[in-house]
Amino acid sequence: MKKTCILQDTETPEKTTDLLAAAVRMYGRDGFESHVVLVNAPPATVTGRCHHVIQMTESLAAEDDPRALAEILEILHQTYGFDSILIPATTLGKMIAPRLAWRLKTGLATGVTDITVRDGQLEITRPAGLGTMLETILQEGQGPVIMTIRINAFEYTQKQAVPTRISPYSRPVTVRSTLTRLGVEQNIEPRDIRDFEVLVAGGGGAIRCFPALEPLADALNGAVAASRKLVDLGIAKRNIQVGQSGKTVTPKVYLALGIHGSMQHLAGLRGAASILAVNTSSHAPICRVSDLVVQGDACEFIEKLMGKLMHHPHKNT
Amino acid sequence: MDERSDTPMPMNLICTVKFVPEPDSLTAGPHQLILNPDDACALAFALALKSRDPGIGVEVVSLGPLSVRPHMEDLLRLAVDRGTLIWDPGLKNSDAYVTSRVLSRYIAERPCDCVLTGSHSLDGGSAQVPVQIAESLGLDQMLGVIRIDPDRFDPTRAVFQAVDETGVTTWEMALPGVLSLTRESGYKLPYPTLTDLRREVSEELNILTSRDLGFSADEVGPAGSLTRVSASSPVTYGEKDPEIVGLDDNGITQVVDFLKKKGVGR
Repeated sequence: MKKTCILQDTETPEKTTDLLAAAVRMYGRDGFESHVVLVNAPPATVTGRCHHVIQMTESLAAEDDPRALAEILEILHQTYGFDSILIPATTLGKMIAPRLAWRLKTGLATGVTDITVRDGQLEITRPAGLGTMLETILQEGQGPVIMTIRINAFEYTQKQAVPTRISPYSRPVTVRSTLTRLGVEQNIEPRDIRDFEVLVAGGGGAIRCFPALEPLADALNGAVAASRKLVDLGIAKRNIQVGQSGKTVTPKVYLALGIHGSMQHLAGLRGAASILAVNTSSHAPICRVSDLVVQGDACEFIEKLMGKLMHHPHKNT
Repeated sequence: MDERSDTPMPMNLICTVKFVPEPDSLTAGPHQLILNPDDACALAFALALKSRDPGIGVEVVSLGPLSVRPHMEDLLRLAVDRGTLIWDPGLKNSDAYVTSRVLSRYIAERPCDCVLTGSHSLDGGSAQVPVQIAESLGLDQMLGVIRIDPDRFDPTRAVFQAVDETGVTTWEMALPGVLSLTRESGYKLPYPTLTDLRREVSEELNILTSRDLGFSADEVGPAGSLTRVSASSPVTYGEKDPEIVGLDDNGITQVVDFLKKKGVGR
């Protein structure tokens, strides 16, 4: 029986169990024992879904201290002998995993989006080259296998509940970072764009009417997203950026308004069920992956669609 | 790193840089190389600080093939005090772990108050190297830095802002340490003067090999690597044959029908 360790996603704890799907890919549904390390979430978050919860004692270390968390994972590995350690590819996770891999002198695969097993060898897939390429990574040496898993790349569906053992972890850490938080400017958006079934996303063709995306998104019960171009221009916040350097989204419908559709942007759209593109050029790359294309100006489109929705509102929810 | 005395000394900054294929040439050769944008921001911050205080030492180090030599020389024309290129054929196909080992061993021998890096590279994007340099040197590190307060940046501490999934956080961190900037910082490299452009700098660039840093052949390249890229292929997306409509009433009606079919709306 293989042993896999999963570090909690401290930003969105409910996403933590999606990493179990990566373990299922490696070992099969019944081929592994799951150990989930909880940093700032209660055991109820994962109880019944994993075999073992390791609850970090409160005040043992700051929940955002990558050095302390790397040390804790190293000690847990020495105790349990994990075959794999899976870490969410959040900013914090990206600062923990390389430290842990260094300490354990093992390879690290980052931003993993797929895993296959061929002739007993793990083949780990990750996007590279701004999302234009997919690399297959092989781990050399003894392991354990350490990966950061791209958020939303895997989705775990549970067949049946499993008994969960809960253990506290209270061993004092010997290394702490000197990082001190002086202030936080929280994102204004109350919900993550990854949680929405409808995304109304703006690109370069929607620069002059970007504020108009909000009422349209609201009318469609969705949220506003943006391409990197608008983020780089300071028009949109980084936390609503879709793409290789932004978020991977899985909406039911993605409205791409004035978005050209670079490979980097499309890398974040692989999970979108349907795409509606509005673009002045029907030859823009986004159009090739869309279900419906409106050829025209994005701002004019918003105005006309809003007019139609206001006069003939439709209800589906 | 050097022992620190009680006498305030000018800061020494080391910028690790990488030259990457220009994005538009990623899928079509031959590749043109550019300074990785995040790394350029890190160097730009260092040079901006040096323009305020010329006593600050700025060093650039890169692990890369000799073909990047002209690019490194261009950086020496931008008031960079020292440039070092680490390369030998044995380093070819080294993974991020080997890269981290080589760079951190070099940095450990240099006077340094802060290592400035990019957060991500355009070609790899793993953010592994700056974190492992920090771990190797026993230093703190932060990804996603978008602003460093020049008035609160001294040999003992740095105050800076970094962006993550939740927003922008202002941090204080003890130095020496590693700060990894992003393009969002907006720091821009200065333009060289005409005099600098004409300056002969080829003799100023230090070229080191892995052996110079004490590595044996089996510690670098594929032999020393802990991961291996076994295949690389262009991303393909399921291309569709979409219906194309206009912005006229008929087109907008089709959009509304499309949304209805998908169950979208209030």
